[in-house]
Amino acid sequence: MKRSLFMVMLAGAAVLAGCGDNHAEPAPKTEITLMRFFGSCDAKFGAVNDASQGVGECGIVTAMVNEFNATNTDGIRVKTQTAEWAPYYDQLTARLVAKDIPTVAVMHESALGDYVRRRLIEPLDASLPALGIGVNDFTDHARRGVTLDGQIYALPFDTWAWLWHINTTLMGQAGLMGADGKPRLPHSPDELLAMARQFKQRTGKPLFAWAIVKETAATNRTFQTLIAQQDTKLFSDDGRRIDMHQPQVVNALSLMQRLYAEGHVKPNLDYGAANQAFLNGEAGVVVVGTWTIDQFLREARKPESPLKGGYTVVPFPQLYQRPAVFADGHSWALFKGGAATPEQHAAALKLLQFIWQRSAEWARTGHLPVRRSVAQSAAFRALPFRENLAEITRTGASMPSSVPTQRAVELLIGEDVSNLLVSGKPIAEVQDDVEKQVNKALKKVRR
Amino acid sequence: MTPMLRKGWFDRAVMAALVLLAALWMLPLLWVLALSFKPNELLMVRTDVFLAPPYTLANYADILQTSAVFRWLGNSALVAALQTLGVLVLSSLAGYGFARCEFPGRRWLFPLVLFGLAVPSQSVFIPLHRLFSDWGLQNTYAGLALPGLAAPFGVFLMTQYFKAVPIDLEEAAMLDNASRFKTFFKVVLPLTLPAQATLGIFTFLACWNDYLWPLVIATKPEMYTLTRGLASTQTNFAQSEGLGFLMAQAVFAGAPVLMIYLFFQKHLVTAVAGTGRS
Repeated sequence: MKRSLFMVMLAGAAVLAGCGDNHAEPAPKTEITLMRFFGSCDAKFGAVNDASQGVGECGIVTAMVNEFNATNTDGIRVKTQTAEWAPYYDQLTARLVAKDIPTVAVMHESALGDYVRRRLIEPLDASLPALGIGVNDFTDHARRGVTLDGQIYALPFDTWAWLWHINTTLMGQAGLMGADGKPRLPHSPDELLAMARQFKQRTGKPLFAWAIVKETAATNRTFQTLIAQQDTKLFSDDGRRIDMHQPQVVNALSLMQRLYAEGHVKPNLDYGAANQAFLNGEAGVVVVGTWTIDQFLREARKPESPLKGGYTVVPFPQLYQRPAVFADGHSWALFKGGAATPEQHAAALKLLQFIWQRSAEWARTGHLPVRRSVAQSAAFRALPFRENLAEITRTGASMPSSVPTQRAVELLIGEDVSNLLVSGKPIAEVQDDVEKQVNKALKKVRR
Repeated sequence: MTPMLRKGWFDRAVMAALVLLAALWMLPLLWVLALSFKPNELLMVRTDVFLAPPYTLANYADILQTSAVFRWLGNSALVAALQTLGVLVLSSLAGYGFARCEFPGRRWLFPLVLFGLAVPSQSVFIPLHRLFSDWGLQNTYAGLALPGLAAPFGVFLMTQYFKAVPIDLEEAAMLDNASRFKTFFKVVLPLTLPAQATLGIFTFLACWNDYLWPLVIATKPEMYTLTRGLASTQTNFAQSEGLGFLMAQAVFAGAPVLMIYLFFQKHLVTAVAGTGRS
């Protein structure tokens, strides 16, 4: 009986494994693969063939690819291969090793350098002009992000940056709104501390919610922003050494430590909880990226929301001499060997051209455009708060592209800066440990 | 009088404490279940909701409308079944060999197998992936199932089990002219069914729940297993914007395992209690 049951299960499994999305479509002339994160949303957008009808990252990118598949006249079919965000590069590397190379893949600009140094990515300088993609239309940050050793290695898709999402109702209660109806922003660390104290005193709530538990990205990005605003070079020119023993590092760490120690940051929040605290009116400011703008806007329109009618967003305020905000970006890269035939290569370039032409649609996600023409367009400026954020396309600051394994470096910095806040690790120890660990990691990199 | 009432106050207190602890242990699972029926928009703002409305089946509908989800389910079942079958066959043969057969190198080979228990699977990940991809097994069922066949725990369990079977039974069979293999297959193997069930269930569950190996060896969506496939559908900020969907995924992926547990709970409990013997 049990054996029969097992055989039935096995047969059932085999039948299910044979199921799938085997649509009876005519065979495409050219098929290419597109590897990306942003999730899968077939249920809502699988049949949407118009990028302008997409909503959110997943919806827009899905509809964009569907539109390309439906409208291109060259018989090109793009097969999307989704992978989740966290282990994306592990899977990408595994694919490259196994020679199962995607034709086109989305890449963080901060990760691009590692693959370029290993000569895995095709330069695009020669191809872009023929596609009508002018590099002079790239924004400053986008161009920096995809350029290594003077060559362009990817098509920029967006710029995302570190922002203050503000509950203006609470700011009003704290007496921190200006006569122009805009929140008063600090211009120095002392002003920020004074503002946080006033906010706490008047509302009984901490000024900030930001993710400290279960992630290190937020602390790293805030730290990098404060360092960039002091015009400090954290890394050597060749990107192989970090110098944490600079007064500017102490300034940044001291400020973060004081904000946390004085109770101006709601403690023990992870990413979801930090956003929740903000949406529930438990903090005046959540420090997070561009991608939450649409979500917070939708909440602010709900009558029952504590955020109702009281939401705005600005770049992380300038506290030191230089206007700068931590920023990174997504881009599309062509991997060497990903196109087996000249037809596939041409198809991949056509896809890039199509994505470039729909750049404005992607900007609806909250991410900033990578085309000057889009950033300056009336349509983009008419989107909520984009006027406030457009400066980031110039002031966005990232790690220098010469620094290898940037994601590992970000993790190491973020971990120890989180230790500084959560477990009270002394600043001097944080400086020593970050320097030691990051330099060790950088030394291990072969190329 | 029921057995429970006949017991003393201490036993009852222990039982009450165990029930309480079990309820506490169950709480996160029940929370996951409850959140899976809540709209994502609500969960962006509140996650302390439990039984109160609103409810929705939208998260489950979204999973079922993902075009490849049944294929992933089938892949998981197929790979887990193949791996379970392979582990049972190999571990039984190896266990019998170590328990009963004399062959050159047995004395050092068995400790070497046991040493495998001390090697974390992650430490051999890179060479293993390299090997399998060089053999062209990327995105194949063989690539998904074969690494799990090296099961030191299975060999150890079966060796110990075969050692406990009285040798007289085998000697009697051999006196009746049964070959070594026939003795193994017809006489000894049926006696090890409880151990086989234990090993089979653990192997199946481990394979079903595996995420890391499918992450690197299955890179085409049509070859994803369920855990891998469901994870790939998560948006970048699922823990905030798609929490209900995330919880529904956990329930959906766990449901088949729960059913297996319900069918085979007697063997599982026996195995965990360390008395895997009839």
